[in-house]
Order: sequence, then structure tokens, then C-alpha cells
Amino acid sequence: MSEASLLERILEPNGLTIVFQPLYQLNAEGWRLHAVEALSRGPAGTNFESAPVLFEYVRRKREESLVDRECVTRALKAARELRGEPRVSVNVHASTLGRDQGFVTFMQDAISGAGIAADRLVVEIVEHSPFWDGRSFTRALDGLRETGVAIALDDVGLGNSNYRMVLECRPDYFKVDRYLVFGSAGDFYRRALLRSITDLAASFGAFAVAEGVDAHDDLDAVLAEGYRLVQGFLLAAPRPAGALRNEEIGVERPLRFGGSGRLTAVA
Amino acid sequence: MNSTIPNSTASKGVRILVVDDEEAIRDATREYLSALGYEVDAAQEREEAEALLTTATYSLVIADMRLTGVHGREGLELVGYLRERCPWARVVVLTAYGSPDLEAEARRRGADAFLQKPVPLAELARLAGLLVPGSAA
Repeated sequence: MSEASLLERILEPNGLTIVFQPLYQLNAEGWRLHAVEALSRGPAGTNFESAPVLFEYVRRKREESLVDRECVTRALKAARELRGEPRVSVNVHASTLGRDQGFVTFMQDAISGAGIAADRLVVEIVEHSPFWDGRSFTRALDGLRETGVAIALDDVGLGNSNYRMVLECRPDYFKVDRYLVFGSAGDFYRRALLRSITDLAASFGAFAVAEGVDAHDDLDAVLAEGYRLVQGFLLAAPRPAGALRNEEIGVERPLRFGGSGRLTAVA
Repeated sequence: MNSTIPNSTASKGVRILVVDDEEAIRDATREYLSALGYEVDAAQEREEAEALLTTATYSLVIADMRLTGVHGREGLELVGYLRERCPWARVVVLTAYGSPDLEAEARRRGADAFLQKPVPLAELARLAGLLVPGSAA
């Protein structure tokens, strides 16, 4: 018997697993949960447990729309298990928005089907292909905004997430990739780029988010450069909805870094 | 058959990608080469192999010529991709349907070796030792 195609395995009922990584906001009281990012992992025991391999495969198969829809459906379903009612961000390829004419309607149906308020959702745009239909893309973005969803641009400053994309998206969130964040503490040039993106986000009336913050000195660096929204293993690793600790969710009390280096609730 | 097989110490840290749509062959090759100390990943489809190649660096790719696909020459396309994107990787192409013309085309595209299936695993190990400097005993 021939093996199931890999795409079929990804789309099987137990093919994708959703984990959530908290994104925290620093204010005068301490850290508070701002949102959780839904992240998809492929079938266990395959190369697709690695998200970069999974989505590179999907892009090479030109099946971004099909898999994005599946990931969104599963993410919204899994989000119902989250404590509190945090914002939830889901990743969608720019090519899906540019090519899938029914995507906005799909999102509206998925949101109402999951019973989640649209203003809790952030659509995080992942851009990997240099060419797409700008008009369809803009129309889809407008449709999502009319639904009440916020827009984030992922990997700002890398690859095709460039100034053109910033103009096309006018994002509510500028998410800065770990490539710029990692090692920024001791790198004048990385810090200069990080600072330019916080300035840019402020000009757009948007949030700047530092992703991939895995070290205390890099956290200090991004805070010094004006970032107040931070995501990374230093603060919390991605976990299934039910496995996020109360301290990580922190919806009732602000959080601070304890002596152990972990986030704990402010007494 | 030449019995020169890389020892497990010399092959440590050398990454090999095995690409074959037959699960039994894929698994047997991976297990054999892993036992010799190579770090081995395996892929079933060309697109899966290319996705792995964007996230890791392989010294050697062993690819069947006929993979799941529409025209049965996906392995050859993978060779072209490797020559363009990963010129450092050595490439072995396997086929159950060999001919001098096919071998010539595989070599023209950049294959370092072309073998008719079934290929004894020890022969693959010997080739790995020859093609990847520093991995042979």
C-alpha cells in the first residue's frame, strides 16, 4: 500500500498540534499578558514537528491557503481552552490573503464558529514570496479589519517583510524577528535597527514587539530601545493551552521577574 | 565489494540526507548510516527534502531518482536544486530504472555518483566515506 502523502498526514485530525506562546507587555506595575501567539506543529515523529520545515514544505507545495485555514481552525478551537480571555494571534501567509478570495469569509465563519470575539484576534502576516496580487491582498486586509481583527506584520526587517509590506499592511503590530534581537545587548548596529523599528511603529500608531527574547541582557537591550511588548523563551515557552501556568497567564495580577529568573505574580 | 566503511568516530557530525519515497529503504538506510555515526535525516518527497535543506546543512544527499510526483524524475530536479543552492553537498543518485542516458543526465546536473538499485548499504557507506572528506576511517 502506498504511503499517505505528507500533505494528507498534515491535514489528518491528529496531524497538527497547536501551542501558545505568551506575549507580555511591560507597564509601570510590571509585566502583563498582552496576547498569546498560536503556533502550529506538524505530525509527531516527522520532520514537520519543526515549524520552519513544515511551512517551507507547505510553501513549496503551494498549499499555504489550505494549511493556513486548517491551522486557524485548530488554533481557534484550542484557544477556547485558554484561561481568561487573552488576545490570540494566528499566522497567515501573505500569499493566502493575496490568492484565496474566500479567506475573509472563512475567517468570519471560523471566528463565529469558535465563539471568540473578533477583537481578541490578531492576524499575523507571514511573508515569504516576493510577488503577490497587491489589490487582492489589500482587499483581504480591509475585510479582516472590518471584521474587527487586528493586523500584525511578522519578521519586520527580514526577507520580504520590508518597507513595501509595511506600507501595504499598515500593521497594528510590528513584530521584530529574533535575528535582530539575539545578541542585541552587545551589538551597536542591531540596537540601531531595533530603535529604528520602534520609531517606525510609533509613527504608524502601532505596537513594536520584540520576538525571540531568550536572554536577560537582550531583554534589557530591547527595553532600552523602547520595546514594551516582548515574546521569548526567557519569559515563557510555547505550550498547549491547558499547560500554560497561572503565573504565565497573569491575567489577574501583574508579573515580575523573581530571583529564579522566572516570571512570578507581584505579591 | 570494497569493505572500507567509515568508522563511527570519524563520521560524527557529518550530516546526510536520504531521500526516497519507499519507507522501508528510507528507514533501513537511515538506521545503517546512523549506526556508523552519521547524523541522518530522511525525506519522502522532493519538497520535504528542499524544506530540510533550507534549515540544515548536509554534506551528502542520497536521493532516489523517482520520488512521489508527476513525472518520476523528481530526484534529478533535486540534484539541480542542490547544485544551485547547496554547491558544497555531494550527491548520490539511485535508480531502479538506470540507463547510460539517465546516468549522463544525472552527472550533467551535478551528481557525484549514480547507482543502480538495489544498492547494498555497505556500498553506500563506502561511497559516503569517499565523497565526504574526513568521514572515512
